[in-house]
Amino acid sequence: MADKQIACATCQPKGLCGGKGLLTLKEGAWTNNPLSIQVLGICSALAVTNRLENSLVMGAALIFVCVGSNLLVSLLRKHTPHRIRMIAEVAIIATFVILFDQFLKAFYWDMSKQLGPYVGLIITNCIVMGRAEAFALQNPPILSIVDGIANGIGYAAILAIIGFFRELLGTGEIFGRQIPIFSEWYTPNQLMILAPGAFVALGIVIGIFNAIKGPEPEENK
Amino acid sequence: MKGNVYTLVYAAVLGTACAMVLTFAASFTAPYKKANAEAEEVKNILLALNISIPDKASSEQLVEIFNKNVKEQQQGDIKTYVYTPSNKNDGAIAIDFVGPGLWGPIKGFLALDPKMTKIRGITFYEQEETPGLGGEIVKSSFRDKFVGLMIRDEAGNPGIIIKNGGEAAANKVDGISGATMTCDKVQEMLNEAIRSIVEEK
Repeated sequence: MADKQIACATCQPKGLCGGKGLLTLKEGAWTNNPLSIQVLGICSALAVTNRLENSLVMGAALIFVCVGSNLLVSLLRKHTPHRIRMIAEVAIIATFVILFDQFLKAFYWDMSKQLGPYVGLIITNCIVMGRAEAFALQNPPILSIVDGIANGIGYAAILAIIGFFRELLGTGEIFGRQIPIFSEWYTPNQLMILAPGAFVALGIVIGIFNAIKGPEPEENK
Repeated sequence: MKGNVYTLVYAAVLGTACAMVLTFAASFTAPYKKANAEAEEVKNILLALNISIPDKASSEQLVEIFNKNVKEQQQGDIKTYVYTPSNKNDGAIAIDFVGPGLWGPIKGFLALDPKMTKIRGITFYEQEETPGLGGEIVKSSFRDKFVGLMIRDEAGNPGIIIKNGGEAAANKVDGISGATMTCDKVQEMLNEAIRSIVEEK
């Protein structure tokens, strides 16, 4: 299994961690995509994807938080007392999330208003905590950064796809702009903007994603 | 296994480090956030007064438009925002209102014509009503209904009515179906604001 190959608790970083970097990247963004395979972080994926722009900012936020927290957790992994490791992880994650939130509030006020509480809720996003606990605690910093980027991209890409189709079908626009010909001809379907539309869109995207990826190889028991 | 003292020290150091980073970030972004909050307030007053603002106006632009067009005046206990346009169009006078909604406080601005007979415009800048029902109060489709609404009934008593059905009146608008509670509460807080400004006049 791929899992065994990338578990490199003792590996010496050379190149991109002895060639494990690419595998980690593929694992996070594709074969073990946090959203479409592990079905984590659904709450925010449903809530903010009514506009492509919102989806992209949310994706960027998650990449930032995931990379930052993975790096710090990995750097501190040999010094963190085992008993309080989860508290420590949450403290680190919360710090990065609030940093991003403050940045949005200061420089992208309108975006911050649209995303509302969902930036803050990244603190409780299972993807970030999951990667810190499952990966960064056992792996060296550079590989952990790669893992953070990979999972962040995996999340952001799915969000962008859903955001693109929801905005296109729900409003007939992209990035809040009219599209020549299409916008005149198309009658927007409001359902796609509303929450139920998000469920439908997410379900279809997960379905297509799994169809392309093919069936899961047999679990080794 | 590392000892309890180590665990405590580790937690204290990590906590302090995180807190320091966040304190620094908060104080660094404070002036920007303050400017944004000010611009947000100013924008809502401008919208209520029906002063046209560019689509993607920056915070500075909004404050500039506000300072150029609007004067703050104190009438008794009430702070008013008076708009006196340069061309001879009628001006407007805005006051803020606040009151309990269904789920949380509702805050907004109400603009009247200078003679205090009609509503010029209305905005809500803070509300937590049910999305899709009470939350619709922020939509222009609802807010536009108030433009031109008389603030007194036929007997001359100040007050407006937000209600579905019933007899049409110059001081009545249709509410939102499915959001009767929100409409009742909005009506109440608007009437309180109207009464206070009419009495002050």
